[in-house]
Amino acid sequence: MSEDQTVTIEVDGRELQAQAGAMLIDVTDAAGINIPRFCYHKKLSVSANCRMCLVEVEKVWKPLPACATPVADGMKVFTRSPMALAAQKGTMEFLLINHPLDCPICDQGGECELQDVAVGYGSDVSRFVEGKRVVKDKDIGPLVATDLTRCIHCTRCVRFGAEIAGIRELGATGRGEHMTIGTYIEKSVDSELSGNIIDVCPVGSLTSKPFRFHARAWELVQRESIAPHDSVGSSVNVHVRRNEVMRVVPCDNEAVNECWISDRDRFSYTGLASEERLTRPMIKQKNGWMETSWHDALNQVAQGLKDVAGEQLGALVSPSATLEEMHLAQKLVTGLGSSNIDYRLRQGDFRGQESAYPWLGQSIEALETLNAALLIGSNVRKEQPILGHRLRKAAVAGANISFINPMELDMNYASSQLVNTPAGMVDDLAAVAKAQGASGDIIDSAEVGDAHKAVAEQLKTADNASVLLGNIAVAHPDYSLLCSLAAKVAETSGAKLGFLPEAANSTGARLAIRTDGLNATAMLEHPRKGYLLMGVEPAYDFYNPALATTAFDKAEFVVALTVFRSPTIEAAADVMLPISSFGETSGTYVNAEGTWQSFAGAVSPKGETRPAWKVLRVLGNMLDIDGFDQDSSVDVFNEVKETAGDRQPDNTVGDATDSERKVAAGGLTRIGDVPLYAIDPLVRRAAPLQQTKDAISASIRLNAREATRGGFAEGDRAVVVQDGNRAVLPIEIDPNVPDSCVRVPAGLAGTEMLGGQFGEVTLEKA
Amino acid sequence: MKVLTDYIKSLFLLELFKGLNLTGRYLFKKKFTVQYPEEKAPVSPRFRGLHAQRRYPNGEERCIACKLCEATCPALAITIEAEPREDGSRRTTRYDIDLFKCIYCGYCQESCPVDAIVETRVYEYSFENREDAIMTKEKLLAIGDKYEAQIAADIEAQAKYR
Amino acid sequence: MGALIGLWEWLGENLIIIQIMIKIVVIVAPLMLAVAYFTYAERKIIGYMQVRIGPNRVGPKGWLQPIADAVKLMFKEIVIPTKANKLLFLIAPLLTLGPALAAWAVFPFTEELVLADINAGLLYILAMTSVGVYGVIIAGWASNSKYAFLGALRSAAQIVSYEIAMGFALVGVLVAAGSLNLGDIVNAQRGEGGLFNWYWLPLLPLFVIYFISGVAETNRAPFDVAEGESEIVAGFHVDYSGMPFACFFLGEYANMILISALTALMFLGGWLSPFPASWVDGVFLLGDGIHWLFIKTAIFGFFFLWLRATFPRFRYDQIMRLGWKVFIPITIVWILVVGLAVVYQMPWWFD
Repeated sequence: MSEDQTVTIEVDGRELQAQAGAMLIDVTDAAGINIPRFCYHKKLSVSANCRMCLVEVEKVWKPLPACATPVADGMKVFTRSPMALAAQKGTMEFLLINHPLDCPICDQGGECELQDVAVGYGSDVSRFVEGKRVVKDKDIGPLVATDLTRCIHCTRCVRFGAEIAGIRELGATGRGEHMTIGTYIEKSVDSELSGNIIDVCPVGSLTSKPFRFHARAWELVQRESIAPHDSVGSSVNVHVRRNEVMRVVPCDNEAVNECWISDRDRFSYTGLASEERLTRPMIKQKNGWMETSWHDALNQVAQGLKDVAGEQLGALVSPSATLEEMHLAQKLVTGLGSSNIDYRLRQGDFRGQESAYPWLGQSIEALETLNAALLIGSNVRKEQPILGHRLRKAAVAGANISFINPMELDMNYASSQLVNTPAGMVDDLAAVAKAQGASGDIIDSAEVGDAHKAVAEQLKTADNASVLLGNIAVAHPDYSLLCSLAAKVAETSGAKLGFLPEAANSTGARLAIRTDGLNATAMLEHPRKGYLLMGVEPAYDFYNPALATTAFDKAEFVVALTVFRSPTIEAAADVMLPISSFGETSGTYVNAEGTWQSFAGAVSPKGETRPAWKVLRVLGNMLDIDGFDQDSSVDVFNEVKETAGDRQPDNTVGDATDSERKVAAGGLTRIGDVPLYAIDPLVRRAAPLQQTKDAISASIRLNAREATRGGFAEGDRAVVVQDGNRAVLPIEIDPNVPDSCVRVPAGLAGTEMLGGQFGEVTLEKA
Repeated sequence: MKVLTDYIKSLFLLELFKGLNLTGRYLFKKKFTVQYPEEKAPVSPRFRGLHAQRRYPNGEERCIACKLCEATCPALAITIEAEPREDGSRRTTRYDIDLFKCIYCGYCQESCPVDAIVETRVYEYSFENREDAIMTKEKLLAIGDKYEAQIAADIEAQAKYR
Repeated sequence: MGALIGLWEWLGENLIIIQIMIKIVVIVAPLMLAVAYFTYAERKIIGYMQVRIGPNRVGPKGWLQPIADAVKLMFKEIVIPTKANKLLFLIAPLLTLGPALAAWAVFPFTEELVLADINAGLLYILAMTSVGVYGVIIAGWASNSKYAFLGALRSAAQIVSYEIAMGFALVGVLVAAGSLNLGDIVNAQRGEGGLFNWYWLPLLPLFVIYFISGVAETNRAPFDVAEGESEIVAGFHVDYSGMPFACFFLGEYANMILISALTALMFLGGWLSPFPASWVDGVFLLGDGIHWLFIKTAIFGFFFLWLRATFPRFRYDQIMRLGWKVFIPITIVWILVVGLAVVYQMPWWFD
């Protein structure tokens, strides 16, 4: 029987067409026939251990589990026959034997699959009079709360860990009644997708810790939105109660995030209620910051911007800003006679001719079908967890995934990693290009090793291959070189060139912002008199925070449109205008695959904050600039759509292989990657995320050899010196860091005064 | 014939006199008025008066913040906020009943799985400020503490009918 | 005593105005007191008919309740709606109360006890009771409120309709008595038959119609469509508070007393004793006297309350039908009957 053959089966008297070999429950689900289930999950393997989906099949003398019964031609199935119902009722009774009757204090109450099914299939009284089982709760981290007494042993969480998250963190120990779910040894669940076990758990055994006991399912109003923390643009549902975001859950979207979201997208909402939230406009005065009215603040901003109008004005916009906000910011800057506006705040190199509208190079779904991929300067698993999951699916299906990175990554699938110093990364990539037969200045001088040959071979032989550049590559001082080389590799191997954009709107920003003036770094290197900052924190969101801080200090007038107030913004800005955050504003993000995804606000803006597009619009009016008459963000959207709606993604990059190399081998090179939970102001204030293992604190990480060479031991405090700036940080021994490198992550408290993310540093004893 | 009798009835206002006769007789009937502050009408154990929150004998508050009362309240008079207490138990941080909204239907008491929210026999209360009509958790618990004996006896008396 | 009489005569000669004022006070003060306790009686009696006991908290058995009400009303704020015509708004209550009091000027309490014994007394009474309606209409208009305006319109139409029936009923009395002087009308009812000599018997239909029209005239239940709480809130006085409202209230009750007293006067022989004069002449309290008038008035006052406690409000069209198509034809026919009876000197009344 071939795979695509269709068979006809009959379920409850209805004739259904199905693919041969499909599981019965998939067929009935597609037809809208409900069969109760607990262990079955459409994205997980079949385990058939809950027995809730038992149905009667004609000519079979016992009920069969629908989730593990393949359909066969002419099969007659009865889901509500006396035999099926008796089986389901019996199963339900057994499941409820050990399930506590604590629905009133269970967070799952009201959205519990067991509750729902018990209403439909359970009995109203229990015959069970013996003692019930009690299981001690385990602490599995700051995100997921456990109530293991409620567990019905469906093992969805276990299978999720093994099959989706890629790390078997949870498992079942013991047999029968003594079976418990746990981590075996005392440890936390640290996957970047761990929050999804809350959703897969059909009962209240695994629940959200930050949300614990805060609200009930029936109190929450569900509003659709788009996750703002990476370029995936996951569809999420924001759950709102009394104008407050209570939690964020995934929204099924097969094309983007399937039914998962990263923990970053799920728990970042906790930052919304941060004490650092700026709720009223503030003006800096001689004796400190003073709260003021919007009217006064905007007047001051309009005056300040007028004074620095022209090319002396620079605008730095967060790549997480919406398309609408970026569009209006561009208009405002142009209206003030300046061409200096940029969103590429963490880009390390602007020399090459960049592609016009860089994108993933393929659809997100297509990542799954790759046979080979080379990722350059990307920790995709932590940078864009959902894309990482797609690549993992490809790898599990047999694809060869290779990395060229400045540090060894902790991967959840088999991959080949070329680890080298930042300077060596360029050499490695050039070597791969050479192995493929490309030629050019750097390429010719590269030394080709076996690993390079293997990668080149994999890319060349694969039907469907891709070369992808990640966040680390973007921040690399020789990014233009890496780009050109990657393009060469892609060209010679027939692979698709793609970018893994950093932020929610990195892709869309190209549509709204013209980068023909000074770029982000140039604006700071040649300080402007005035700056407009939107959604950025000077010390954490720039490639070179020290440079940014000095530039803003020197400037005559800096206005910050910001969600939060923090010492670094307060130091930089003259006026702080409070803007709305995720969930409070409407707008559009263009994700990595170039899909425009608009969303509406889920709650009204907190306090006196206003959506940034409204603030910019009023500023435009106050400065008498034409074209600021939009009544809604939809009006702005239509404007963008008109000007940029037709633009097709384009990854063509200019050849820059002859450029001078900025990072040289020798000495100590800093690797300043941005950790998972430090990428934007909201995430940095999400307390539960900051308690996870992935939320590292600033430290000097080097391998044991380098440590011995410098005479440092784990836990010592040392001074890292970069561009004359010093920072005292603890030493951590990290075998993943290559020789002559030191990893000092960026975007963390303690690294404010350091220079570029990559560059020469020296270590001194503290 | 009927037309004629109807006409006569109408002309001589017979029906009206019947009515006057009735009210006239009632003028001399015994009056039922209860002289309220001095005399009080008997109160049923099912009486639904002022709300109270109860405690267990060990002093622990009963309410577990399940929010069923909030969900069932037809007048949306109850507002609950909850979070884990230091000991990890599920407790309310806010439990407000707006007595202006409350219609005293008793559904909250009916829905409570732990008999925490009850309506007492107390009906003599008044407010001088609008905000006093919001019964906070502290006020409710204080009422519960004050009338616990009566509440417990009433619930006991009604147990077999529930 | 002699000095007092001397003073009185001196006043009559030199300061007639003071004398008149004193006379007015002597009539109005007890009248106001009667109004106050009429409200108390109303609440008590209706309460009793509804098997409750009415006000009993202020003073012993609630005796001070009307005083408390009066004090309360006096201290309440007088709210004048922004868009109201202020002058008319304040004149209206006085226009209601004033005529109700002025009508008493010609009212004979006994043979001699009458403030102004004028010949056209009956006409004067008719005129005064008609003026009262202006208060209602002006109040409704001046309030600039749709409910008040509706109430005023209803009231105007109703009073105009019942005025005719009432007038005809009085014409019957006038024909029977042959005089417009109220004292003469009472005296015309004097006879050997005692209470059977009074006009209620020969003029029975007119008597009933006069009283019912009186109820309608005073806007009392079941003819209180001008107020109609359940339809138009409180009708013409919806926007009134404090003393202006109290004036309407006083006027209404003063009118009720007036109608009761007039009914007593014209159909039940005023101060005459119900017993034949030959039996009781000179016997203490059984002979003619002002107390008989009070008793008769009280009986009709009680009737007002009894009606209110018994009947639901008439529908507006039913009120109009009753007035125009029942009462007016009956009165006209009966005036003819009375006229014939008078012409042919029918015993016992007209011989």
